[in-house]
This record gives sequence, C-alpha cells and structure tokens, in this order.
Amino acid sequence: MPSLENIANFIHNWLYTTFNATVALLLEFTIVAILVIGLFSVLGLVLIFMERKVSAYMQVRLGPNRVGPKGIFQTVADTLKLMVKEGMTPNNADKFLFNLAPFIVMTAAMLILAPLAFAKNFQIWDINIGVLFVTAISSVSVIGILMAGWASNNKYSLLGAMRSGAQIVSYELSAGLSIITIVVLSESLKISTIIESQANGWWIFKGHIPAIIAFVIFIIAVTAETNRAPFDLAEAESELTAGFHTEYSGMKFALFFLAEYVNIFIVCVIGATLFLGGWMPLHFGTNTTFNEMMDYIPSSLWLFGKTFFLIFVIMWFRWTFPRLRIDQLLNLEWKYLLPISMINLLLATAMAILGWHF
Amino acid sequence: MNALIVTAVLGVMMMFSSIVLKRNSAIRMLAIVGLLFTFIANVLDSSGVHFFSINIKGMMHFDQFAYFFISISIFCTFIFFLLSAKEMERIGVNYSEYFALIFFILCGIILVASFTSLLILFLGIEIISIPLYILTGSDKKNLKSNEASLKYFLLGAFSTGIMLMGIALFYGSTGSFSVENSVVIAATTSPMLLIGILLLLFSMSFKVSAAPFHFWAPDVYDGAPTVFTSFMATIVKAAAFIAFIRLFSLAFTPLQDRWQLIVAVIIALTLFVGNITAVFQQSVKRMLAYSSIAQSGFMLMALLAFNTFSVEGILLYIVAYSISTMGIFSVLVKMKDSSLEEFNGFAKHQPVLAVALTVFLLSLAGIPLTAGFLSKFYMLKAVMHSGNFLWLIIFAVLMAAVSVYYYFRIIQVMFFKESDSNTIIVSTSFKWLLSALAIIIIVLGVYPQLLLQFLV
Amino acid sequence: MGVTAILFWILSSLALLSAIMIVVSKNPVHSVLWLILVFFAISGHYLLLNAQFLAIVNIIVYAGAIMVLFLYVLMLIDLKKIVDPQRSLWIKLVGVATGCCLLLVLIAALSKADQTTALTQTIGGNIGLVENLGKILFSEYLVPFEISSILFLSAMVGAVVIGKK
Repeated sequence: MPSLENIANFIHNWLYTTFNATVALLLEFTIVAILVIGLFSVLGLVLIFMERKVSAYMQVRLGPNRVGPKGIFQTVADTLKLMVKEGMTPNNADKFLFNLAPFIVMTAAMLILAPLAFAKNFQIWDINIGVLFVTAISSVSVIGILMAGWASNNKYSLLGAMRSGAQIVSYELSAGLSIITIVVLSESLKISTIIESQANGWWIFKGHIPAIIAFVIFIIAVTAETNRAPFDLAEAESELTAGFHTEYSGMKFALFFLAEYVNIFIVCVIGATLFLGGWMPLHFGTNTTFNEMMDYIPSSLWLFGKTFFLIFVIMWFRWTFPRLRIDQLLNLEWKYLLPISMINLLLATAMAILGWHF
Repeated sequence: MNALIVTAVLGVMMMFSSIVLKRNSAIRMLAIVGLLFTFIANVLDSSGVHFFSINIKGMMHFDQFAYFFISISIFCTFIFFLLSAKEMERIGVNYSEYFALIFFILCGIILVASFTSLLILFLGIEIISIPLYILTGSDKKNLKSNEASLKYFLLGAFSTGIMLMGIALFYGSTGSFSVENSVVIAATTSPMLLIGILLLLFSMSFKVSAAPFHFWAPDVYDGAPTVFTSFMATIVKAAAFIAFIRLFSLAFTPLQDRWQLIVAVIIALTLFVGNITAVFQQSVKRMLAYSSIAQSGFMLMALLAFNTFSVEGILLYIVAYSISTMGIFSVLVKMKDSSLEEFNGFAKHQPVLAVALTVFLLSLAGIPLTAGFLSKFYMLKAVMHSGNFLWLIIFAVLMAAVSVYYYFRIIQVMFFKESDSNTIIVSTSFKWLLSALAIIIIVLGVYPQLLLQFLV
Repeated sequence: MGVTAILFWILSSLALLSAIMIVVSKNPVHSVLWLILVFFAISGHYLLLNAQFLAIVNIIVYAGAIMVLFLYVLMLIDLKKIVDPQRSLWIKLVGVATGCCLLLVLIAALSKADQTTALTQTIGGNIGLVENLGKILFSEYLVPFEISSILFLSAMVGAVVIGKK
C-alpha cells in the first residue's frame, strides 16, 4: 500500500544506494527544503481561500467567485499581484532589520515543522524534546515581529509590535502549561511517543477533565499567540492601521501574511497531535470491525482532517467574538487562564501518578 | 536546617499577612513573634532537636559556628525590629512585604552561614541581594532611593556575574562544587583554579564593600531609606563576611600563600579609603557608610589568619559593630535629615540617648572598655599570631586612630554645641532598649566570654 | 576534521563575532539582537554536546523571554535623543589597558590548563538529555532546586513591591 512512509523510505534507500552518504544526505536536505517550501505555498493558498469562504459563509455572502470556478483562483491572482508589486522601504527605517524581519518570522515558522509528524513514521526530525522545541522556536518569531515594528520607524507599527510581543509572551505560558499537561500524561516530550501513547484512545478522551480543560486553554492561547481575532489587537485595523506590518508592501508583506496562516496551521497540527491523537485513527475500545475500518483511512488524512477541523474552529471564533481590549486581554491570561492551567496541571499530575487515566 | 525552613515559611506568611491583618501593629507583632520562634528553633537545632530530617547531600554543614552566627543574626534582626520596625511604615504602603523580604534575606543568611557547596553559596548570596535591591529602592518617590537601587542592582548583578565565572572556573578545574580542602589540593597546579579563586575573591570583596570594590556602598547606603540602611550595613554585611571567610577557610587554605598578599593589600586600601574619606563627610549617614567600609577592613583580617582569635574575634566584631551601628541608625531614622547639625545640643534634650550614642560611637572607634576595642584587639592579635603582615597591623592601628576623629566629632556636637531647638520624640521603651544595648556593649567589652562561651 | 569539528568552529566564530558586535554596535537594539545570535550559537554548542534540553531551554528562557523583554524596554526609549556620554580619553585608555590585562591573564592561565582531564564527550554522551538531567536535578540537587524557589519568590515579591502604585 503506497503510504507516505513507504515513499519516504523508498527515496531514502534509493538515494543511499545510488550516491555516497554525504551526497545522499545533502540531497535529502534539499528534498525536505523543497517539500517544506511547497507545503508553505500550498498552505498559503488553501488557508487564505478557506478563510475567505468561511467568513463569507458566516456572514451569509458568497465570497470570492469571479476568478476561476467558485473563485478558487482568487488567491493565486492575489499572490501574483503581491509578487509584482514594489517592495518599498521607508526612508528613515532601519533598512537592514526592516528587510530581515519577514524572513525571521518565516524561518521560525519553517523550523517548527521539523518535529511534526504528518503521517505514520513520516517526520523530518524526531527530536527527543519535540514539544519543547516547538515552544522554543515559536517564542523566537516574536523577535521578528518586534524587529519589524521597531525598524519601520512608525508609531502604529511599534505599538502593534509591542502589543503582539506582550500577547505572545504572556499566552505562551498557558499554552506551554497545557502542553505540559499532555506531556505529564504521556510521559514523554517526543512527538512520536506522544502519538503512540494515544493508540488506544486520544488524550482528550483518555485524560478526563484535565485534558479537556487543557485543550480549551490551548485553543484560546494559540488563538492569541497567532494574533487571530478576537485577540488581533496587534493589527487592530480601527486603531493601528495594520499593526506591525503597516509599512510593509509587496512580497515582504506577503511573507508576514503567509507566516501568519502557516502559524495557524502549525498550532492546529500541534493541537491535533497532542489532544486528538495526531495521525492515530479513531478507535473505540474493542470494537474491531469499526477500528479496522478506521485504519483503512490513510494516517495523513486523519491528521489533516483533525487539523483543518481545528483551523475551522479558530476561523469560526473570528466571526463570533468581539475583539478584546489590551488590558482585558492581559487580565484574561494572567488572572484567569494562568492560574487555571496551573491548577489543571496539578490535577493532571495527580491523575498521572494515581493512574486514573485509561 | 530548622531556621532555614522556618524563615522561608515565615516569609511566605508575612507576604499574605496583610490580607488577614489590617493593622500594621499586628503585622509587626507577627514578625517579632515569628523571629522569636525562629531563634528558638535554631537554638533547639544546635542542641540536637531537628524538626525536619532532610538529606542535604553534603551541600550544607551546620557546625557550632554556623549555628552561633545564625543565632546572632536572628538576635540582631530582632533588635532591629524592636528599634526601627515602626519606622518602616513611613516608607511605603507595602508594610508586610518589607517583612517578607527581610525574612527571605534571613533565609539567605542561613544559607551562606552553612554552605559547603558553591551552588548553595551562590543561591544564598542571591537570596540576600535581590530583596536588598528592592528594599533600597522601596522609597519610590525619592529619586535618590531609585538611583541607589538601580546602581546597586547593576553593580551587584555584575559582581554576581564575576562570581559565577569564578565558580565555573572552580568547577572546571576541580570537577566539583564542593568547598573542601581535598578538592582544591587535587587541582592546586591548575591555573584555572587560581583565576577562579581570584574572581571569587573580587566578587566577595564587592559584596562586603572592600576597596577598591567599594564605590557602590556610600551611594547605596546614603540613598536607601535609613531603616534599611541600618539593616544592610550590619546584619547583611556580617553575613557576607561569614560567607567570605567560610569559603576561603574551608576551601582555599592550601593555596594561602597565593592569595593572602592580595587580601592584605585590599585590607590596607579599605582601611585607608574608608577612614580618610569618612573624615570629610558632612552627612552622618554618609559618614557611617564610609565608617562601615573602614570597619570591614578590620573584619577582613580574619581572612589572613585562621585561628581561635580570628574566629572569636570576627563574631565579637560582628556583634559589637552591628549593635552599635544599628543603635546610631535607629536615632538617625527619627531625625529630620542626616546632617551633622541635627545632633547639635542633642545631649541637652535627650541625655539618655546621647550617652547611649556616645557608648556606640566609642565602641566603633575602638576605645577600651567597649566591645569595639576588644574585637579590634582580637583581630590584630590573630594576624599577629599568624606571624606575617606586621606592616598591616601598624597601618591598621594608625587608621583606627584616624577614625577616632570623625566619631568624636559627633560626640562633640552632641555635648558642646548649642541646639536649634528641634528635638525628636521617642518613647520610653525606646530609651530603655537603647540603654540596654549600650550596657551590652560595655559588658561585652569587659567580659567577652559571656558571648564567646557559647562557641564551644 | 569531522562534521562536528566544522560545526564547532563555525558556531564558535559566530558566537565570538556576535559577542564583539554587541559591544561595538552603537545602537542598543542592534546589541540586543546580536546577543540573541550569541544565545543561538551557544545553543548550537549544547546540541553538539548532545544536550538538547539545555539548548532548547536556553532559547526559550534567554532568546524567547528575557531578550524579548530587553527589546521591549529598549524600543520604548527614544534612542535618538540619548547621546553617548563623552568620556575622557584617559578613562578609555585605562579601560582598554585593564581589560587587556585581564584578558592576558585569563589566556595565559587557560592555555596552561590541563585539557586532557576535561575533554567532554561530544557524541554518545547523554548527560544533557532531559531524562538524565531531570533525574539528577530531583535527586542529587533537590535541595538547591527547592531553595531556588525562595529566590524566585523573593524576586516576585520584590517586583510587586516595586511595580505596585
């Protein structure tokens, strides 16, 4: 059965039998890089189209419908427009940092892909602290954002960057704590082990209330971390024009835009991996017929299905909740989410020690 | 170990006390009672009653000296609370938090008095320093306090960095954090170890404000609220000394000949800078800051000779110096400002306080029949016994003579100048307490064994 | 020279270069960004030592949290208004001289230091893995670990005292 795992193994073996080890390794690097970039561009197109369609649906309108059938080429056209636009740099900006910032944000997003498992045994780098790696690198992207805001030499940009910095640094805490809840339950930081621990049931089912609380907090926190509505203060149009990327145009703007959507995808993959079993199919106890039927669905489809469900939920938020004020936002994190997630972690630890989970 | 845990718990309790206790006097009572309890816990600990049994993996060792010093610091803090805890109300609204921070500092003091691992030393020094940065800047509306806090924080962080570098080099050359002779002997030839010792020496000199690492001290002592100056110039400083001496006497004696000359030069510089600069000060607070630098020169002499005289001397010195300085500061807190003129004609308005202050000043200057004299004598004798550094002893005696000038200046204005009719209001109990402290100073000056008999 | 050695030299020179740039840069924001680069280079070194946990924690704590706060503060300051204080030539010279003396002493001592005993295992060493680190931290170093909580608590109380109106 051709699965992603078999294809990857086949290419790996073919490369290592055809070339010597160093060349094969370099070729593998190249293939991975091309795949990642390819995934990024496809994701950009798909997610932006999805966002438009979802918001159109929520607001009872049609959304893009002119370019191509049902408007599916609208995003392609937009991308072409952005590519041929002039990328301007303001006069008094710190030119080097201004131009560097989008790439840092983008690179950070790419690095996070490394430990993610997209299908059964299909993973770039199964590092033994995968989850921490993700947390660490996602905290780096805030540097790029701050850099962009400061280097633009524009007060809207700076304010946007500041807000987004405060937001990301604060919400990282509760996101991290809810991740740790699952780490405690599955007793590993390694992504592949975490997924395998869910073979007999996803953590959201096995982990009782602590896992559910952690899941909810995780979704709230990552919505804030990706600067999505209702936490999109960093680019609150009515107050700050466009936040930290006010001064950006053309391809540099497109990079920020792309990174934003890729980040949504990434956090949803992580959410799906930790709470919804990653590529693990849905299994119910000993009901073997059902379980085997589920196994026939390819593992990559499982992961992408779960991920896009979460993405849909996050897009749903945007049209459901009004935007918070900055003080409400910080109050929510420091006064509510953080204490709750700490107590929740304590509960989960007690549960793991006493063996109350399945 | 008892006292360590009790102080930590008390710190947390004080932190939350303002939720339950609405009145400041209740918070103060809680702190004082808690301190008494800590004292009892520590005394019980030293006589074999341990509340907790914790395997500390040889990272701390509570010997009789450590217990004794911890008792002394708790006792001095107790006196500090009695003398000046009320004055803390005037600084800001976070009354209970100040007590919490002081309890945390005590926790650090216990750590540095008992460490046998550099890790604990580092933690102890930091637990002492960080609350002090805060207390220095606690007078938030006063620009001088802010400046002092920032200065202290930056320089303190820098010296902690140097200390960490020293610890890293120590670890790199010996492969252990353990502060033992045997560890050092195994790596005597390693130049890395020598540099580590040098960096540790510098950073510890900074913490005890020895010249040429003293530049922070006058500004910080001057800028900090006077109440906290009296705490940090006495008890905290004494703890830094104990850490310094403990570190060098436990670990680095095999390399004594390499670092003792540096210490001697540091002592000479400290004595010189402290005493000579103190002569020119117009503000009593600043004068006391320089005098504390000068006194640390004497206390550092314990590093030059590790014998019974130095061990007894340093403890006696700490008690004499802490009580005297705290006594003077407790009067200074109540004054309008800290200029010398404030003391004009003090003896006419407050004869009891003036006499007590005179005793404290005499003790600091090292006049016979006071504890200050005996402690200076012990230190000099200890160095004498080690056989080296005769020049240092002569120089120290000279500098002590200089110090008499600026201490006597206060006595002179108190008794022989006309007053400008501004008096301070003190309670009777305060007078009693200060007189009792003066009596302690004199009694210890005549019969030091009263204190030192506990050190067996 | 294996891959590890090449990486080591690249990372070391990157770390040193960035460290020099921290001091040389006129703009404090640039200094902070160089400092972040230093942390990344050091994390790379940890990875070479097979200490992945330390590498990642180094990035989370320093590059991700502390440096972001640094940037935060620096960006709020109007740097154009602050002119570098003019120091006299003498002080600069003395600074350079003392710095060089310290450097000389350190180099002289460290070049003689005994290297054979202290060579670290680069491949196969697994002290830095999170499992071993956790075990050591919660058995051998439990007491210092617990004590450090007092340190953080006091720092937090302090922050509240300073920050509260």
